[in-house]
Amino acid sequence: MSIPLQPAIARLETPRQSGFLSSLSRIPGIGIAGIKAFFAGQRYIGAILPLVILGLWQASSSFGWIEPVFLPAPLKVVQAFWYMLTRQDLLMDIRASVFIIAQAFVYGTLLGVGLGFAAGLSRPVELFFGGTINTLRHIPTVAWIPLIVVWLGLGAPAKIVVLTKSIFIPVFLNTLQAIRGVDHNFIELAQALKLSRRQLIRRVIFPAIVPVVMITLRYSVGLSWALVVVAEGISGLEGLGFLIFRAQNLLMTDQLLVCMVLIGLIGYGLDRLLYLTQRRLLRWQRGFGGSYA
Amino acid sequence: MLEVRGVTRRFGDFTAIEDTNLSVREGEFITIVGASGCGKTTLLRLIAGLDQDYTGEIALRGQRIAGTSLERGIVFQEPRLLPWLTLWDNVAIALDNAPLSPSAKKEAIAAQIALVGLTGFEQAYPAALSGGMAQRAAIARALVGHPSILLFDEPLGALDAITRMRLQEELLRIWQHEGVSMILVTHDVEEAVFLSQSIVVMDSHPGHVTANIVVDLPFPRDRSSAEFGAVRREVFGALHDNAAVKPPEIEYLI
Ligand SMILES: Nc1ncnc2c1ncn2[C@@H]1O[C@H](COP(=O)(O)OP(=O)(O)O)[C@@H](O)[C@H]1O
Ligand SMILES: [Mg+2]
Repeated sequence: MSIPLQPAIARLETPRQSGFLSSLSRIPGIGIAGIKAFFAGQRYIGAILPLVILGLWQASSSFGWIEPVFLPAPLKVVQAFWYMLTRQDLLMDIRASVFIIAQAFVYGTLLGVGLGFAAGLSRPVELFFGGTINTLRHIPTVAWIPLIVVWLGLGAPAKIVVLTKSIFIPVFLNTLQAIRGVDHNFIELAQALKLSRRQLIRRVIFPAIVPVVMITLRYSVGLSWALVVVAEGISGLEGLGFLIFRAQNLLMTDQLLVCMVLIGLIGYGLDRLLYLTQRRLLRWQRGFGGSYA
Repeated sequence: MLEVRGVTRRFGDFTAIEDTNLSVREGEFITIVGASGCGKTTLLRLIAGLDQDYTGEIALRGQRIAGTSLERGIVFQEPRLLPWLTLWDNVAIALDNAPLSPSAKKEAIAAQIALVGLTGFEQAYPAALSGGMAQRAAIARALVGHPSILLFDEPLGALDAITRMRLQEELLRIWQHEGVSMILVTHDVEEAVFLSQSIVVMDSHPGHVTANIVVDLPFPRDRSSAEFGAVRREVFGALHDNAAVKPPEIEYLI
């Protein structure tokens, strides 16, 4: 008898209960509930810290906590950015740096995955390269720069070579390890299904190592982007690294900060690209999302 | 159709199975029961061709077994689905090398997925499947190439009792539908009596066959019937002779 009434009650209650209240608590700054909702919104949570840092920065110059030579005001930095963009060749410099990391990324990845596969699928190849690469691994990338610059000059090629190496080595080693770690049960399954060697590689081994390779790529691209800056600073005539060290020498702190922010943002962008690729490639994985209640 | 004669497999000094004999008729359903470690998996791997390091003779339709073959489908204890492939692709991979047109493959895959009751889940990744569903998918993969014999290594061992019973019924249905010979390894005596026409009892140290019990009951079998209970007791008796295994006292209230 009361069953027909229920939809009507639901209709009456829904807009008042969940509609109004929840839309109210979605507005940030409204009590504890509002703050909670803001954090639960999660999308914006990552913007809090940068805004706080920016606020402190602005405050420190407004109240004169730090001398402008050491830390110019945010607005000064924006102006410097505009100046560098319109009066200097900032875009060219950005392009030079990105060009280096992009090429090194492509070459390093192809070489690392390719040779890692070759070594992973053949013991002789592993034995042939393994020891050498494991030794070269211990020479820091920065230590390679002087020699390669002597050979190839101050231009992009020397840096591309050095950074290709810095991406190649971890990708090679981890690809090899990941292949060694492929579940033997899957190899047995491939045998039972009469897969050819090619099919085994394409259907089993390659997808099995994608998670490790993607993590390695993200890690080593981050590291290599930092090394681009170092390499350009040590020896170069263009690029963000060159600008940042030049700005230091000329005590142009505003330009220095422009470069720092750009380096950070570009690095973030590169990682983001890889992260999205990783997520796409690993749709099949169901890992730990972070919430645990 | 399948003949195992005088087969011995050693791992170094350890003899896993010794002088083992077994034979399966065309379309027959046999089970192998025995305590853990008596060499059931070892024997099944030999028949599957995953392991060829043995003495003796294993022949399928008169042909000595050399390596794996799609003639002999295998379902492992765990589903062993490739996590990066959808359910559809996990089944389809068994037809990668089949001499069939793409449309014939599609048809066969869809039919097999339907047979194991997974229609609608074709695009699901294994991570989203329950244990029972995953094992059904593994059965579909083993069946899709139409093998002449299917080998099961305790495929239902890891499932809960209800899912296991349901899958036992489905195995029976698939067997009757496909007319394929089956060898099922299990340590569940009731499962063996429910499913098979013949039960091979194995014992360990070293692994060998101690009894071969013919189950002459009509399908589908009533787990609570007196005849069923009698066969169960007989199998437990055979196992009991091997070791101190007692039949559990179970009353069926069906
Ligand atoms: N690859 C191997 N190397 C050494 N011993 C093995 C190997 N495979 C199986 N065994 C031994 O053979 C015996 C039988 O194993 P298995 O066939 O897996 O038993 P079941 O499947 O009946 O439980 C066990 O004692 C096991 O330790
Ligand atoms: Mg086993």
